[in-house]
Amino acid sequence: MIAPHPAMTFTGAVGAACMFPLRAIIRACVALRIHPNVLTLTGVFINFIAAWFFAQGEFVTAGFVMLVANIFDFIDGKVAEATKLASRFGGFWDSVMDRFSDLSLFIGVIYLYAQLGRTDYVMIAAFAMMFSVMTSYTRARAESMIDKCKVGFMERPERIVLVMIGAFTNRMGAVLWVILVLSIVTVFDRIYFTWRALRTQEAGAR
Amino acid sequence: MKRLATLPARAVRHALFWTFERATWQYDLMVIAILAFIWLTPPAWIGDPTASGPGLIGLVLERLR
Repeated sequence: MIAPHPAMTFTGAVGAACMFPLRAIIRACVALRIHPNVLTLTGVFINFIAAWFFAQGEFVTAGFVMLVANIFDFIDGKVAEATKLASRFGGFWDSVMDRFSDLSLFIGVIYLYAQLGRTDYVMIAAFAMMFSVMTSYTRARAESMIDKCKVGFMERPERIVLVMIGAFTNRMGAVLWVILVLSIVTVFDRIYFTWRALRTQEAGAR
Repeated sequence: MKRLATLPARAVRHALFWTFERATWQYDLMVIAILAFIWLTPPAWIGDPTASGPGLIGLVLERLR
C-alpha cells in the first residue's frame, strides 16, 4: 500500500509548514554542537515556567512559553540523529523528561483551579493527568512484552497541541474534557490491544 | 446498502479502537471534530472557570433568541 503524502491532508500540511522554521533551528543546534540531552533538559525547565504561568491564569503567555519549550522537545531527537549522538540513554532521558513536562503543566492548571475554588475542574484536570501518564505507561509496558502498541488517538503530541490551543484561545475547560475522555479511551484501547496480542502469542506458543 | 447502514457503528468502532496514522483523512476528521467541540461549545455548558465569551454556538443561540 502506498503511504499517503503528508502534505495531502490538512494536518499534514500544517506539519510541513511547521517543519520549515524548525529545520533552521535544528541546523543551528547541530552547528553549535549542542548536546541533545541538554536540549531535552532545557525544554523541561521552560515547561516549568509555562506551568507557573498557567498557575497564575496567564494562559496566552503560558501558551507562548510552551511553544518555545516544545521546539526544544521536538528538535532534540533530530539533533541527536544529525550529530550522531543518538543513544539508548538519550531515548530513556527524553521519555522521563517528557513525563516531568506533562505533569508540571497539569499541576499548574490544577493549582489555578484550586485557587479559584473549582474542585470540579481540579478533579477533571487530575484525572486527565492520571490518564495521560497511563497512556504513556501502558504503551511502554506493553512494548516490553509485545512488538508494538501504537494504538489510540490521544498521544503526547496531540495532548501538547491541545493544551496550547486551550491556552491561546482561552478554552482550557473544553480541552481538559477532550484530553480526559480520549486518554481514557486510549488507555483501555491499549490494554485491550495488548491482551489480544498476548493471547495470540500464547496460543501460538502452545 | 448494508455497508451504508453500518457506517455509523463502524465509524464509532474505528474512533474507539484508533489505529490510523497522523496525516490521514481519518486523522483530519478527528481533529476537526475535536476543534469543533472546543471552539463551538459555549463555555457555560461545561462550566469552564476561565473561558470568556459565549463561543460560536452560544453566539448563534443568542441571535436566535
